[in-house]
Formats: sequence, structure tokens, C-alpha cells
Amino acid sequence: MVDALKEARRILRRHGTLVDARPDSRVFAYAECRGATGTYRRTGVIATAREPLKDDRASDRAIATAARNKWFRSLRSGRFWHRVLFEDRSAMQRYLDDHVRFVHRVRWTVDAAKRRRWNSEGWAIRRAVRYQLFERI
Amino acid sequence: MRAVHCHTVVSFIVPLAMATSTSAVGRLLPAISSLLRPPPEDELREYGGRGLVRGKRVIDVGCGDGRMALGCAAYASEVVGVDPDPEAIRLARAKARQLGAANVRFKVGVAQELPFPDEHFDVVILSWTL
Repeated sequence: MVDALKEARRILRRHGTLVDARPDSRVFAYAECRGATGTYRRTGVIATAREPLKDDRASDRAIATAARNKWFRSLRSGRFWHRVLFEDRSAMQRYLDDHVRFVHRVRWTVDAAKRRRWNSEGWAIRRAVRYQLFERI
Repeated sequence: MRAVHCHTVVSFIVPLAMATSTSAVGRLLPAISSLLRPPPEDELREYGGRGLVRGKRVIDVGCGDGRMALGCAAYASEVVGVDPDPEAIRLARAKARQLGAANVRFKVGVAQELPFPDEHFDVVILSWTL
């Protein structure tokens, strides 16, 4: 990762901008179900699996190394959210079953009867993305 | 915090059985469908808007099927997308042709060895890459 940042610095002009964006594993993702009015209600939380957490920390360390080496200077950082939409709950579960970033089991915050009732509604995973903009020194 | 809505419903299983070793960054991770990512215009807006790339030379490292690269193409003077997955690059090129984006090029390559001269780009994007 540090190699990649070093290479990014090489091809970037002085005072050019580097954008680093990735899933934000410091916060939970959410399972949501679409209501009749089109708004989404939170139905559960989805944690990040252990291996991706380790990878994310390694990415953080690489960024810290780049800053320490004075390759880049942080300009701005933030977080935004987006939804991955699914036709129904089973489609969302299939996605989670195959996904390596998230744990496969949702920690539900609504009871089983409600979930069953909403099975065929539209479902979504709402996840956070964090980003940081750097200036090449 | 604000929710950014993705309007495409995912109704298929995406094969995501991928290596997660940190040493594999930029080398082994297969491209993930754009459907699972925010629309590029939303992502650009979060980073500060079109002004970030307007009239500039932009490289999207780990571009996958070209989501961000093609999103920047309308504003940037030149966009290059690089990804280690030849299949993703093939898809990205097909999308660029479909969109008539003449200022975008896609190359197979890895983040650690980018085939460009020093200080060639104004903006480097690492979106879901590190």
C-alpha cells in the first residue's frame, strides 16, 4: 500500500490532489427495508468482518506513513453514505453470504414477525464511505 | 450525515470471493460491479464537486469497470483508468465507446507500477483501492 502511495506521488504534479476513498469500517452498516412511503427504516446492523478490519487498519497505516514522509498533506476528510438496493430480503442475504467485507449475519433490531412481513419489500444495505483529500507536497 | 441514494437494484449474486490480503492490493482484487458503488456524480460532489477534475488530467487507479473514470470524463481534459483485471478494463473500454468518451483511456496495470512519466497528472483517485 505504501508502494502504491509512493507511485501515486510520483505521477502526481506538485500541489496536485490525491483522493483516497474506501468503506468506513469504523461505523456499522445498516440493513434497511423500504416502507410504503418510500422511506427506509432501519432493521438491523451489519458489522465488518475481522480480515477487512485488519486491511483497513493497514491502509490507515500506509496513509499515515505517506503523511509522515511528507509525501502528502491532508486537505479535507469526510464521510458519506450510500445504499446498495436489493429486490427483497433474500437477495440481500445472498449478497451478504457471498460478501467478504461484511459479516454474514445481520444483527436484527426488529422482531422476526415484522421481518417476515417485510420479506418481499425492497431492502438495502446502507454503508458509510470515508474519504480524504491530500495535496502532493 | 446524508444518505446518498443509489437507484440501481441489485438482483443478482455478485461473486465476491476475493483475496483480502493487504499484499494483494492493486494486484489480485477483482473489479466489483459499479452497481454496488455510489454513482460517480454523488462521489465527486462529496469530494468538492466537478471543480476538482474540471480541465485536469485525472487518473483513476483501481478503476474497475470505469465507474469513476467515466464519471470524471465529462469534466476532465484527460482521464486514465488503470486496473489489474483485464476483464474489467475490457468492460470499461466498451462503456467508454458506448458513451462516446474520447478523452478516456483504460490500461491494464497495477498501482505499484504505473506506466506514466513523473508529475503527469493533476488528480489521482484511489476509490476503494487502498
